[in-house]
Amino acid sequence: MPKLTIDGKEIEVPAGTTIIQAAEKLGIDIPRYCYHPALPVAGNCRICMVEIEKQPKLQIACYTPVANGMAVHTNSPKTLEARQSVLEFLLVNHPVDCPVCDQSGECKLQDYYMEHGQYNSRLADVKVKKEKKAFSIGPTVMLDQERCILCTRCVRFADHITKTYEFGVFDRGDHSQLDVYKQLDNNYSGNVVDICPVGALTDKDFRFKCRVWYLDKTKSVCPGCSTGCNMTVEWDKLRPHTHKKARVMRLKPRLNPDVNDYWMCDVGRYDYHFVDENRILSPQHKEELVSWTQAIETMAKIIQPLKDSKSMDKIGVLASAKLTNEDLFVIRKLFKESLNVSQVDFRVPEPPGHSDHFLLKADRNPNTAGAQVILPQESADAQQIIQKAKQGDLDLLYVFGHDLVKLFGKDTVEQISKKVKLFVFQSSTVNDTCGYAHLILPSAVYAEKDGTFTNCQHRVQRIWPAFLPLGESKGDWEILSLLAGKCGIQLNYKKSEEIFQELAQKIGAFSEMSYEKIADQGMVLKK
Amino acid sequence: MKDFLPQMDRITGQYENKRAALLPVLHLVQEKEGLISPESEKEIAEYLGIPVVQVHEVISFYHLFRQKPQGKCHFSVCQTTSCALLGGEEIIEHIQKRLGIKPGETTPDGKFSLGVVECLGACEIAPMMQWNKEYVGFLNKKKIDELIEKNSL
Amino acid sequence: MQKIVSKHFNQTDSHRLDDYLKDKGYEGARKALTQMTSPQVIEAIKKSNLRGLGGAGFATGMKWNFIPKDNPKPKYLVVNADEGEPGTFKDKYILEQDPHALLEGIIVTCYAIGSHKAYVYIRGEYLKSIERLRGAIEEAYKQNFLGKGIMGTSFDLDIVVHQGAGAYICGEETALLESLEGKKGFPRLKPPFPAVKGLFGCPTVINNVETLACVPPIIVNGAEWFAKLGCEKNGGNRIFCVSGHVNKPGIYELPAGTTLREIIYEHAGGIPQGRQLKAVIPGGISAAVLSANEIDVKMDFDSLKAIGSMAGSGGIIVMDETTCMVWAAMVAARFFAHESCGQCSPCREGSGWVYRNVKRIYDGEGRPVDLQNLPGIVNNIGGNTICAFGDAVTMSVGSYVQKFRSEFEYHIQEKKCDLTLNYAKTNH
Repeated sequence: MPKLTIDGKEIEVPAGTTIIQAAEKLGIDIPRYCYHPALPVAGNCRICMVEIEKQPKLQIACYTPVANGMAVHTNSPKTLEARQSVLEFLLVNHPVDCPVCDQSGECKLQDYYMEHGQYNSRLADVKVKKEKKAFSIGPTVMLDQERCILCTRCVRFADHITKTYEFGVFDRGDHSQLDVYKQLDNNYSGNVVDICPVGALTDKDFRFKCRVWYLDKTKSVCPGCSTGCNMTVEWDKLRPHTHKKARVMRLKPRLNPDVNDYWMCDVGRYDYHFVDENRILSPQHKEELVSWTQAIETMAKIIQPLKDSKSMDKIGVLASAKLTNEDLFVIRKLFKESLNVSQVDFRVPEPPGHSDHFLLKADRNPNTAGAQVILPQESADAQQIIQKAKQGDLDLLYVFGHDLVKLFGKDTVEQISKKVKLFVFQSSTVNDTCGYAHLILPSAVYAEKDGTFTNCQHRVQRIWPAFLPLGESKGDWEILSLLAGKCGIQLNYKKSEEIFQELAQKIGAFSEMSYEKIADQGMVLKK
Repeated sequence: MKDFLPQMDRITGQYENKRAALLPVLHLVQEKEGLISPESEKEIAEYLGIPVVQVHEVISFYHLFRQKPQGKCHFSVCQTTSCALLGGEEIIEHIQKRLGIKPGETTPDGKFSLGVVECLGACEIAPMMQWNKEYVGFLNKKKIDELIEKNSL
Repeated sequence: MQKIVSKHFNQTDSHRLDDYLKDKGYEGARKALTQMTSPQVIEAIKKSNLRGLGGAGFATGMKWNFIPKDNPKPKYLVVNADEGEPGTFKDKYILEQDPHALLEGIIVTCYAIGSHKAYVYIRGEYLKSIERLRGAIEEAYKQNFLGKGIMGTSFDLDIVVHQGAGAYICGEETALLESLEGKKGFPRLKPPFPAVKGLFGCPTVINNVETLACVPPIIVNGAEWFAKLGCEKNGGNRIFCVSGHVNKPGIYELPAGTTLREIIYEHAGGIPQGRQLKAVIPGGISAAVLSANEIDVKMDFDSLKAIGSMAGSGGIIVMDETTCMVWAAMVAARFFAHESCGQCSPCREGSGWVYRNVKRIYDGEGRPVDLQNLPGIVNNIGGNTICAFGDAVTMSVGSYVQKFRSEFEYHIQEKKCDLTLNYAKTNH
């Protein structure tokens, strides 16, 4: 394998590795615009030029393969001069839109300029004007042709990743214009905003919403479908008053070569409003706001007599594949193992969503695989549990988040409301079922939880809590812990990790897993 | 476009893949229809099996392809060094004044249009232009006036 | 002086096959195909010191040798007839008046490199050239000089004429290949070079029209004969194109080592109205401009490189004392700004900026700091781009500022030109 030095540091890499890739392995970040690890090399921005000893001309690091004995300098005077010249050329026609540009604060033109720029401008001429400024090119993306530095990342994305061919560069010379030939409305349109190094392509959803330096970032996993794209929740900690108290400002994909690479689909990307909107904020019993103590008491009062008379067949639990592995394990521990409730299932008759050939799956639950392992099907399935509830055979129906009205129809839910003694509905978000439930328990959303999901490839992935649950809502397993305590069952979990440790011990598929090992790229279940 | 499909097939057959025939096909369509319309763009893309955006890119890149009609008579005047040394820029100015149009425009009656181009490879007859399909050299104001008068009827 | 490539010019019907056959027509091809091996043909071209006459001056034999012999992919010969370099018009004469000479050169070359398909990329405006060449190809097919089993041998060859569409950058080798493949003329990143991965990813040789027209005479008369005509490392004659302020603009076939002075004064009739020479572009607009005291240079590739310019395409543009050099720089900068393909940042933004800068100085709106900045800005383009177009901007525009700096200073100080006479204006 070729051995070379970059800035005096030695490294050995496989043949075919380019200088920019080898530098990355050494932690050296060579400036780049057109280069993107997931896209074919274009080599047109020229900012990654580096000096190679014994070679008269500078070479672009993104395209030049390493050679044995090569000595590369990424910060020599010649290199810095060339870098400055590229920046100067790019700024000749680039509009100084920073005060009104969303990219400000995460703009590679700003960043490299501050690091390497020619601070005294030599420009005394007019800038080239382009046709489309602040122009909508589809339902999600705005285009500004003047800001575009023609790196062609978006063109290569549409050609090679989505193969939808929306983008093109038209005309030539400094009148070249990036544009779309047809509307950019595929399910991955949001990704072009991620890869655009400047503010030429910006997200309509995020437009003028929040300056990026106010954003906090928390790693998570998209709960939109069973793919579990790794992403980051970006939220405004300091100034929620400016967005009507909404915290989440946007979601951004996070690199995971085994799951979603650098991408996420629009369905998942833009579905974050439920974190801050339409939340259930307080426990409610029959249309009256109650305290948690009262709510737990209400449930315990129904459960105790059933425990005494050993009639646990009068309890039905509709768990959900939207819950974390930890939540599901506590459901299993409390209902199945401690209370001997056998009627626990998550398999509701959900109509599948549409899927595409890339990341979006028809199964819109993030943790079906986890639920299948933690709550294997025993006696009754969800349909049968609902039937029983309808017939009046259940004293307690405990539903985790499902909109039963949508799934089974208004009449069925009305019946259930009449026939079941206590219809408990534990959910983060308001839906039609709320109107029929007897006891409503506000739970946390994924962005407020510490836990894990298992995706369709049986990869266990961690989510981290960005902020505390809204209002009086609590995490799902936290609520169950309170209930357990009131029923005389001490669960004693102080944090999610403890639950996971027990889960890993007790369930074979999860054996030898730990939060530390899962880290932020996940770990696959054992067969 | 369907009328000259056999011609297009013959052209495409000469190349190793269909995309390579794009330029000659565009020349053919422009020859037959006077320009390349958005509809033709789509038909050509479908015929060659390539995305329409790439056909449009090619048309916008090469200056001989046009999407707007030209005048019945087109002045394509050279402005590069050899012609400019011998008065090419003044010829361009004169045509603009006589016809009342700027480079890239057509007279309202559709008779004349003006394009300003770079070196046409005929510096030995400078100052020169391509007049429709012909190269015409040793231009002066008189020759231009004569051409305009002859073709104004 | 013996004429080789321009021997048949200015004769009626010189473009027809029967005329071509009268004077050893296709003898070179016959000799190569029947009496020589491919390596022997390559060797002959190497020994002849034939250099690429499109502009780069690369040793032709060496270029052919780069074609890998053991590669199973088909090989291609691409003829660069894009002739876009301002000041150059020689290939037009070959195409219009002696197309069979080109065809014969193509046959020998394809035989040498093992190619059975050649494309001729002719610039889109050369309509007469395209017509004449297509006519010659038809004649050649009819007489079995092309097609299957040429001249009774087992060698097959097909030729396709491909019309360009108005982009100077398509004269660059790899941009030409992109254009041939139906795309925009964006030059490719190198390596790989066309000899390894060219047209459709296959080994390809790209040669200029005139270069190929020299090939049959080399085969017929021998490599040493050709080499001796020229000077060391630059064999043979070449067709010089003279235009601008001269009495007899046109093509002049002369030995490669002829001096610029001889070409201008002895052959092209000197400068009209007895005016003084001020500057000359020796090899197409991309070449550094020479001042009047540099015209004793020999016009071969190496001599011109040694004085900081280039022989390029042989396009000689003569400028007399009535020429404002700031204006000339502006015209050159304007050309580059219009023809930049726009792919890479330094050239795309730089060529436009340099033009606007020089124009501002010419229009009398320049400031002293502009002249300080201009050389640095111009120098930042060349060497940092994907192709040699960027280098051309630097060499060309930079040379005007370098050699005629006082005129730029005058424009900045006085906000006008210091010339009272202008040939162009008096002509009308």
